[in-house]
Parts: sequence; structure tokens; C-alpha cells
Amino acid sequence: MSASDPQQTGDGREGVADRPLPESEAPPSLHSADPRKGGQAPGAPRHMRVLAGLVLALGLVLALAHGLLSRTVEDLTVQREDRRALVSLHALTDLVERAEGSGDAARAVVSAWQDQMRAGSAVRVIAFSGIKLEASTFPEDVGDKAAPRRLAREEKPIYDRGQRLRTAVETNQEEGGARKAELETELLSNGGRQVSAPVEVDGSVVGMVEMATAPQAPAPKPGLGPLLLWWLVPLAACAGASFVVRKQGLRVVASVVAFAVGLGGYAAYSLRTLEHEVRESQEVVAAQLRTMAERAATVLAEQQLPAEPALRPGHWDADEFRRPLGLVSPAGEVDAAVLAERVEEVASGVRRTFGGLAVLGLAVLLFIGMGGLARTVETVVEHRQAYLYIAPAMVGMLVLVFFPFFYGITLSFTDSNLYNSSQPLSDTWVGLRNYVEILGDFTIAKRGSDGALVFNYLNFYYTLFFTVVWTVTNVAIGVSVGLGLALILNVQGLAMRPVYRVLLILPWAMPNYITALIWKGMFHQQFGVVNHVIRMFGGQGLAWFDSPATSFLTALTTNGWLSFPFMMVVSLGALQSIPAELYEAARVDGASRWQQFTAITLPALKPALVPAVILSVVWTFNMFNIIFLVTDGEPGGSTEILVTQAYKYAFQRYRYGYAAAYSTVIFGILLLYSMVQNRLSRATEAA
Amino acid sequence: MKNLRLMIAAVCLCALGLVSTPARAADSGKELVLWHAYRAEEKASLEKVVARFNAANASKGIKVKTLAVPYDAYADKISATVPRGKGPDIFIFAQDRLGGWIEAGNTVEPIDFYLEDEVRKRFIPSTMEAMTYRGTTYGLPLNYKVVTLIYNKKLVPTPPKSSGELVKVAKKLTDKKAGRFGLAYSYGDFYYHASLMNGFGGGVFGPGTTPTLNSAENVKSVEQVLKWVEKDGILPAEPSSALITSLFNEGKAAMVFSGPWFLGEIAKSVDYGLAPLPTLDEAGGKPMRPWMTVEGVYVSAPSKNKDAAFEVVKYLTSEEAAKMLALEGRQSPANQAVYKDAQVAGDKVLKAFRDQVEVAVPMPNVPEMSMVWSPATSAMNAILKKASTPKAAFDDAQKAVAKDVAGLRKK
Repeated sequence: MSASDPQQTGDGREGVADRPLPESEAPPSLHSADPRKGGQAPGAPRHMRVLAGLVLALGLVLALAHGLLSRTVEDLTVQREDRRALVSLHALTDLVERAEGSGDAARAVVSAWQDQMRAGSAVRVIAFSGIKLEASTFPEDVGDKAAPRRLAREEKPIYDRGQRLRTAVETNQEEGGARKAELETELLSNGGRQVSAPVEVDGSVVGMVEMATAPQAPAPKPGLGPLLLWWLVPLAACAGASFVVRKQGLRVVASVVAFAVGLGGYAAYSLRTLEHEVRESQEVVAAQLRTMAERAATVLAEQQLPAEPALRPGHWDADEFRRPLGLVSPAGEVDAAVLAERVEEVASGVRRTFGGLAVLGLAVLLFIGMGGLARTVETVVEHRQAYLYIAPAMVGMLVLVFFPFFYGITLSFTDSNLYNSSQPLSDTWVGLRNYVEILGDFTIAKRGSDGALVFNYLNFYYTLFFTVVWTVTNVAIGVSVGLGLALILNVQGLAMRPVYRVLLILPWAMPNYITALIWKGMFHQQFGVVNHVIRMFGGQGLAWFDSPATSFLTALTTNGWLSFPFMMVVSLGALQSIPAELYEAARVDGASRWQQFTAITLPALKPALVPAVILSVVWTFNMFNIIFLVTDGEPGGSTEILVTQAYKYAFQRYRYGYAAAYSTVIFGILLLYSMVQNRLSRATEAA
Repeated sequence: MKNLRLMIAAVCLCALGLVSTPARAADSGKELVLWHAYRAEEKASLEKVVARFNAANASKGIKVKTLAVPYDAYADKISATVPRGKGPDIFIFAQDRLGGWIEAGNTVEPIDFYLEDEVRKRFIPSTMEAMTYRGTTYGLPLNYKVVTLIYNKKLVPTPPKSSGELVKVAKKLTDKKAGRFGLAYSYGDFYYHASLMNGFGGGVFGPGTTPTLNSAENVKSVEQVLKWVEKDGILPAEPSSALITSLFNEGKAAMVFSGPWFLGEIAKSVDYGLAPLPTLDEAGGKPMRPWMTVEGVYVSAPSKNKDAAFEVVKYLTSEEAAKMLALEGRQSPANQAVYKDAQVAGDKVLKAFRDQVEVAVPMPNVPEMSMVWSPATSAMNAILKKASTPKAAFDDAQKAVAKDVAGLRKK
């Protein structure tokens, strides 16, 4: 990179100047300011820029592709070895289950099984009753540690693993699904693999069989040959082309073609490698299945275990939920149709990955090739102080604002919930389903049997409607009460004005959750002060939190109480800055009180009131505390606003993905509001 | 030049920060951290027990440090810190969050492996059940809280044994105009209602976690409340906890169904007694069965010293510790042997809760439980406000819970 730097910087200057060579003709405006650059690198030919772009873009993309390919090949190898081990483990488990999972019969099965395993492999059988090691061929379990014995304290993880499998089996049975893995595989410190399976006797899990396999030979790495081939050949072709072609545009096109050829070639190579790997895996597993089936039949006969029901080798090649994979038939033949499906699955994965890589590579290529990089470097160098100054703030924003924000948006496309929050987000991806569920549900209300409308309070549009009503009424109350009080306080010569002012600001100074709880108490049906007053005048006390309308009134009153001081302070400040001469002049002209108010006071207040209203709309829209504490959505969720509803989805129903989508929708609404508001206020400023 | 100096200063500060973390971790050795949310005498007695443990185990180099965490943030703090290895080695919490933590993973260590049978037998069986999730034990029960009958001795000389007696006594003491009631409890609150619900044989979940909110027994239990409120008229309207406290303290409520948290709020002038909740004539003489909350001691899954931590857990729930927690901390220990102790047996309050717990049902510890509260509370409200019949309200609640549970499992 450093070698091509000066060239690009040179190129960049041309890019900015948009002028051909030579350097001396470049206008001095941008560059003469920096003396260090003046004497440096003569402008490099533009085709170098294209070539450098291609070198970098293709190199980067191929390196990534190569890394992904080797990892996939490695994963496939591990998968194959796990499947082989699992076939063996399932066969053994089947036998152990026939031996009732414990006792001498189980030990005999295990030792018979050990004979045919590769050196370095070992098995153990755990029985839950009495926390016992029933049988073991592990080298450390000899002498006084030989089975059967109680597990030692440091062997607790083994026992816990068994319990985990038991819980998983029971949970899946109970829920009738496959949510928890019923098999565990683990990488051992010596490079071998360990697989564990539950032992089921008479329908309940009584133990576990574990098998440790000998360390595997490392997976074959895909060679570097194809990588270099598909990197250098397009490069050479493009270099040749760029000397022949004169026009810069055509050179860029040539580089894009070369890039496509290089990436496409390597993609074809990857596809072949993986397909071969997948096909070979099936053969290996099928062979293992045949051997194990024979072996199991022999041991079955030798140990005189019950032969009914018949062995089911078809169930031995299974996924982590012990459901047969179906790639290999019970007889040990490879099922061609299923295999083709599997190959197609792998191929589509490869195509998707390479599609992504192509987009990334093209972006890099065009960015460098069209001179974007050169220009960027130039600005960064020129304004380096400015960038330095904003760097800490940018880092802070990145970590504290942008990351959570984008994480939340990503989360909204998943079905993440309490049970699967430990899985990677890609596993729970559901696309737009959450949004469709939220926005596509129009069952806002239905007719009850008596013809009255019954609202569906969980519906998004109902909650949105309620939130809007809540916001509008609150702001209207806040502004009118605040402005009214400010006008009163602004009366000339008012006695004890500071005292009133302090008293009126008090509601604002109290923590709002305390205020909220006090108000909630005041609305108590039997002992609240509000009903007390009503009864004093001969009325009947109301059950305030019983109907949506009265419940809404309580929250409205509480929030009105909390919001007028802010409006009052803002208006009072603005009122005091209106020069008294204006009113005098108006009076001289014979204007009435009302005319003075509409022609002088209101226009003078507007610059202060409009921002305050904008702010308080956003605050009220998201006023979590009041709703949550005063009404808590009662009755039946009818007084829930959008944020409290999102909170309930996340922390009462544990549907994180759904709640994230809900929050994103709220964000969208507020974004829309602020955009419209911006335009409107710009219009009012201009007027 | 100035920049350079600043840079060096910044680098040094960073280095200092990095150095200090491993240093602290290194010298903590076998120091175990215990988190709890106790205050006042509960906290003091727990600290005393821990101090005794430390003194006995100083030779082994085990030292337990307690930290009282404010209750509001406690559960979230556990959820956030423990799975990342930043939390305590041991923590105390009620069983209601247990299922959620287990499903989230890497929070609570299963302890079946350590549990000898004699340790298992030392507890009241139902409290042990509360510590068990899907057949695996995750903690040892420390103490329990349960709702019982608390009555004003001046107004009620002998507490009623059955619901029939209860209504008879309560009716005599009720004078709605004067604001007097024979009985007061938060019957709209699903937690309190549970004692009736379980008494009739109902419940929230059937086998496993299948919601059974609209079962016939549940409906019957609400009809019982309606009868008490409307026909017998022995209960106040909209009973908030503050209201119940003030009624009881003013002698305007003769009997209250509440738990140990209520005792602290009773005025000094009130002479009160405790008795088991009455049996239900309407359910064939079966007892009312309140939900109990059991506070368990758990070993955190990422702890480095699980063996030592389990020893601490074992000690905290031993008879010796239980006695101190009971007599000085005023808690009801889950250890059953301690109730044979003369001092504990002579304590009327402890004995009353011990009698009540015999018929109590541990509140479900499955995470699905958190989805029940809101629909169940809405149903109770709708029924009590006459907005809906009991059957219809519970049908709605059942539908809502079933939907949420299914949403959780959808794959």
C-alpha cells in the first residue's frame, strides 16, 4: 500500500483538478499550500490506479474467499468425523439401552465395543442413579478408579452434561418439538472429539454414553495454486488491456471484467472442492454405518441381549435432535436424491457468499479505480486536525449510539426471545415477519354480541391512536395552562411574584415517579382524595382505573401537572423580553386587550414556544413513567402507549425481536414527525 | 512536542488501568463473593452467619464476602453480570426468576452432583421442589415466604377454621357505612388469589408448562371471591396494600390474608395473631393453598470455586445458620429440623408460617410464569369490575398466555 500511496496522492490531485497531465499544469489552488507535496512523485499514469484497484480488490476478495473455503472444508471434515463417531455412539447406545444402561451387561458391551475402535478412542457410560461411572475404557479409569464407582468431584461436568441431555430430551418430548440439542459434541484438548448421547430405558433417560475419538489428522487445506492463478491471470490480462486501451472509462470496464473472471473462476473451483467433499463424506459415513450395523449385530448375539425390537441403523446417522438425517439409507446406501439436494444447498450457500464478496470487491475496485480513495486520502491529510478533533466524539457515538441502534434494528429482523437469545442472530432470522405481524394486523375492533364496538387493545394501530391522542391532549394542556399562568405572573406589580413562581415550578422539580405514585394514590376509588371531594359534594366516587376513558384522565391529569411548569417558564422568559413600548404604542392606537395579545404577544412568543412544543411532543410521545406507574395500561392494556407496549413485549413476553421491531417502528414515526416538523418550522422561520 | 507528552501520559494511564485488573484478581484467591438483597435485621443476621463460617474456615483459606445489592436492580444485575463471569460466586434470590436464568444459560450451577441425601432431606420438601427445574436441582432453599391469616385478637378471639366460619365471623364485624370490614386482602391481585385457586385444585400450568388458566377449578375459585365481595359483602372494594394496612391498623379490618412483609407494617397498638388460612367448605373441606416464594442460595455457573461455594451454601442452610436467621433475622427457614429447637418452636410467628407452609404450593419457577401475570391480572380485574363473566375472562387470559408461550417456542 505504501508503495502506491504517492501515486495515488498524485492521481488525486488530478482528480480534484479534473485535468490531464502534466503535473505542472495543475492549478496551484489546492496543492501549493502544502510544500511537501510539490516536489514529490510525478503524476502516475491513471492506468496504474485501475491496476492498483484490481490488485487490491481481487486480492482482498480472493483472500477472504480462500479463508472461508478452508474453514468450510474444515467444518465439513469435522462434521464428517462427528457423524462417523455418532453412528458408532448411537449403535453403542442402542446396545447399552438393551443392557438396561447399567451393570455387568453394560460393561461387557462397552469392552466388546472398545475392541473395534481406533487406538486412542475411549467410551464411558454414566448412570444417573447413584451418580455412577458404570463402565469406562478411558486410560485414567484403571486401578482404584476403575468402573463401577461414584463420580469424583472434579468429574461434575460429566454428570452435569448428562443431566443437560436428560433435560433436553424431556423438554423436547413435552413441547413436541426440537428446541434443545439431545446430543453434545465437544473438542477435546488433545484435538480429538467427544460425543455424548442420552441412554433411554423404558421411556426415561437414566444415563449417558460418551465417546472420545482419537485426534484427527488436520483437514486438507485447499491449495494456494488456484488462488494465485485466478489472481495473477486476470491481473496480467487487465495490465495488458490498460496499455492498449487509451480511454480511462474503458480501462475501468476492463478491470471490472477481469475482476469478474477472477472471482468467477475461484468460485467454480470452490464449488467443485465442496461438492467433492460432501459426496465423499456420504460414502465414508455409509461405510461406517454398514460396519457398525454388522458389529452391533455380532455384539448383540455374543452378549445375548434382547434382539427385539430390531436394530435401526437408519436412526444412527442423525442430527443433534436425534432425528435421522436421511442422507444414508438404513442399509448403508447413499440416497442420491437427498444427496443432490444437499449438494444444491451447499452450492447455493457458495453462490450467496460469492455474491456478497463480489459486491464488496467491486466497491473497493471502483472506489480506488475511479479515484475515490485518492480524494479521500487527500481531504483527510489536508484537514487532519479537524478529523483528529472529532475522532473521540466519533468513537463515542459509534460505541454508545450507532452500535446499539443498528443492533436493535438487526434484532428486529429476528425471532430472538428468551429461549434462543444465545444463538447467533442469523439462526433466528425471520426477515420482515415481525413488521408484518405488527403493521399488518388490522383487527382494531370487532362488534360485540350486543353490537357495541370491542377494541383489540393489543393492536398496534389502536395503541398508536391512543399515543397520538395522549400526546396531543397533553401538549395542548401543557401549553394552554403554562401560557395562562405565565400571563398572570407577568402582570406588572404583582405582589409576591417570586413565591408564586417557586410554587408553580415545584411540580417540575419533584422526581416524576414520585408525583406519579402520589397521583395514583389520589385516584383510589375508596380512599383517594379525588373521590372524597366528589362525595363531599354529594356525588358517587368513580372507579378511575375501570374504564379506558377515566383511566386516561388520571394519566392526563398527572402528566398535565408535570408538564405545565416547563411551558410556563419558557413563556414567562419570552414574555419578559417583549418591550413594554410596543404595548404602549398599541394602546395609543386604541388596540383592545385581545388585539394586543394576538398581534404582539403571540408573534413574540412564537420563536420560544415552537421549539418547546416540538420538544414536549417527543417527550410526551415517549412518556414511559407516567403510563407505566399511573395506569399501567389498565384496564386490559387500553391505556398503553407505544413505548410501554414495547417494554411489555420485551420484558413480560420475552420476545426481544418483536419488541425491537416495535421500537424501530416507533423510531420511524418520530423520524417522520421530526422531518415534517423541520420543514414546517423552516417555513415559519422564513415567513 | 506537547502532543507527544500527552500521548505518553495517556498510554501510561491506559497501562495502569490494565495492570490493576489482573492484580486484583490474583490476590482474591479463595475469597468468595455472596450477593443478597437483605436489609436491616435480615442483613445483620446473614452477615453474622457468614462471619461464623469465615471463622470456622479461616484455616482452609476460604473467606466469604457479602454484598447487599439494592433490590430493584438486583435481578437485572444478576442477569447481566453472572453469565459474563463478572458476578458473585453465590447469590440469594427467590425462585421465580430461576427458570429464566437456567434457560438463558451459564448463570446457575446445577448442584445435584453435590447433594447427598441427608442434605436433601434437611428441607421442607415443597421448598426443595421450588429449587428444582425440569428435574434438576439448582440451589438450596434458605427461607420461604407465604401468605397466612393474620387477625386482630381484640375483634376475633378465635380464628375461623373454615370458610363458613370465616364468613360468619366476618359478617358480624362488617359495617360498610362505617368503613369496617371483617376481612381484607388484595383479592384482585393474582398472587393473593392463588391461595383460593390452588385450594380449589386449580392452577396456572398443567403438566409441564401447558397453561390451564381457564380450568373449571379456577373459575370456581373466582366465583368464591365474587360471593365474598357481593353476597357476603365482607371485603372492601379495590383493596390496595396501603389500604389494607391502614384498615388493619385502625381496627377496621378484623382479618387479613398476608405474608411476613405485612407484620412490619402493623402498628404497635394492635394485638395480632396468626393462624393457617381456613379450609374451604365449598371445595369439600380442602385447605386454602397459598403460593410460597422460596429464597434459594445458588452457586453461580462461572464461579471459579464451586466446591467451596457449595460448602458455603450448605452451611447457610444448615440448622445452626437457620436458627440464627430465624431468631435474629425474623425469617422462616426452609430447614425443617430447626423447628424442633425450643426457642424457634416457642416463637408463635415462625410456628404459624411453618404450619401454613405444609399446604402451600411453590410458585412456578418456569420463565413462562412471567407471561401469566398480566393476562391473569386483567382477567381478575375484568371479573371483579363485572366487565366479563369469570369463564369468558379466563378464556381470554388462557388464549393470551397460550399465544405468548407459543411465540416463545416458535422456531
